[in-house]
Amino acid sequence: MALVHPSARLVDAGSGAVLSGDALTAAIAMRVEALAQLQSGVVFARFPNDVESVLRYLAGWQALRPMALIDPGLPAATLADLVERFEPALVTGVIGSPPPGYRVVDDALLGPLWERIARPAHEPHPALGVLLATSGSTGNPKFVRLSREAITANATAIAEALHIAPEELAPTNLSLFYSYGMSVLNSHLTAGAGVLVQSHSLLERPFWEDLARYEATSLAAVPYQYEMLRRLRFDPAKYPRLRTLTQAGGRLRTELVTDFHARMQTVDGRMFVMYGQTEAGPRMTTLPSARLPEKLGSVGPAIPGGRLSVKLEDGSETSQPGITGEVIYRGPNVMMGYAERAADLSLGDEQGGALVTGDLGWLDEDGYLFISGRLKRFGKVFGVRLNLDDVEKLLRDRGPVAAVSGDDKIVIWAEDAEDDVRREMASELAEKLNLHWSGFDVRNIDSLPLLASGKVDYRALEKAI
Amino acid sequence: MSNVDRLRKSFRTALDLSSDYDVDSLEYRGIEKWDSLAHMALVATLEDEFGVMIDTDEVIDMSSFTKACEILTKQGVDFGE
Repeated sequence: MALVHPSARLVDAGSGAVLSGDALTAAIAMRVEALAQLQSGVVFARFPNDVESVLRYLAGWQALRPMALIDPGLPAATLADLVERFEPALVTGVIGSPPPGYRVVDDALLGPLWERIARPAHEPHPALGVLLATSGSTGNPKFVRLSREAITANATAIAEALHIAPEELAPTNLSLFYSYGMSVLNSHLTAGAGVLVQSHSLLERPFWEDLARYEATSLAAVPYQYEMLRRLRFDPAKYPRLRTLTQAGGRLRTELVTDFHARMQTVDGRMFVMYGQTEAGPRMTTLPSARLPEKLGSVGPAIPGGRLSVKLEDGSETSQPGITGEVIYRGPNVMMGYAERAADLSLGDEQGGALVTGDLGWLDEDGYLFISGRLKRFGKVFGVRLNLDDVEKLLRDRGPVAAVSGDDKIVIWAEDAEDDVRREMASELAEKLNLHWSGFDVRNIDSLPLLASGKVDYRALEKAI
Repeated sequence: MSNVDRLRKSFRTALDLSSDYDVDSLEYRGIEKWDSLAHMALVATLEDEFGVMIDTDEVIDMSSFTKACEILTKQGVDFGE
């Protein structure tokens, strides 16, 4: 279950240095040895987009260490809470003083890290590969437990669905601790292709300079980044090697799907619309670029090795075309389950390879999935899924509020909220959920509409957006 | 309202700042609120407010309040200096 194909390469956009073949193998092996000297167990890997972090990740993988990929922008208090709850053996890529029970080790190869002094009480499950954060109730992150098999199966399936060839080079414009960003890294390394490691956003000149200089071949983006690309008047003709766009992280409006497909068509390029959830490691479907026009609005068929069906209200399941129900995905990439505390890291598979997505959708006669809505109260902001009930709970002290899902943002209706209060509420949510404030559109309403049952009429609020 | 006040107001709206916030010395990423997402909102707000089209290079170069002033001046907006 190697994650790194012998021909894979890492290109450091900052220095231009290329790590591949024996040098890459050796760089990983040295770090594996360094890890072996340290407390055994789960590694919390703070994961900024740089080559050292990628090498630590690959070494942890090779050393059979389950790794939690941690947002480096996480507030210190949230990281401290996670460390206390999950008792990792090591926390890498850290700065500052260690929490109680940990000591600082400044390793020549692994950099500064926190090492747990006592052996962790809970042995991680041997199948466990990667832990990715997802929002739990009241904004406290919990982890999605992905097995090693799920990670490699998904990386291989993505490489196959997107036809990733060894000469390809993908820039890391998405965060690597984010499931979509991680999957770009994994799928390219598995396919023996290259990854251009860089940390600039699409709005910074060095990003576009690096794209041209290193001849990147693809770009993976979430809906708000497509809005940026449109605003930037992205023209693939300026980048002769860049011929693949992929999109995931929530629904992209049809107008932009058509627009970017057309832009790529003019240069014989490809545009892939995809669907996934962190719980599936993350990819579940990919729409082949050539079929995009005739299947507009679809997210495509299941990736190789996966299967789709829909669950009806009576609990029965079907793959018959044209029937709307809750989307169920089955495949080797489905998570083992969630983890909310250290003891959960020892748990085995609780899912049996099946993921109940919470999304509503239907399959056509070719098995192409069309997502039509959400069954559970979820919203997506900048590609991150949030439970709307949890969002409301976070604002409990603010009087009556109701959260509904808008286009790549969450609209919060608040009774009698002045300008300043609304701004405060958006900032508070942004801070607690570690997401951008502009994803929370707090609006004033005289009184929330209610159903006869006395419950909030969310449908009316959705219509009012 | 003078053009410079319209520009200030656009910045405050797009960056979600209070109505008395001093924006004249702002720089991109100089405050937490002016990040890449807010930047897109700012570009859209300026295009609407001044009826101009801001091109790719200008979007990327608009790294401060002063720069925004320069770019809009080039587009024919008169800031009276």
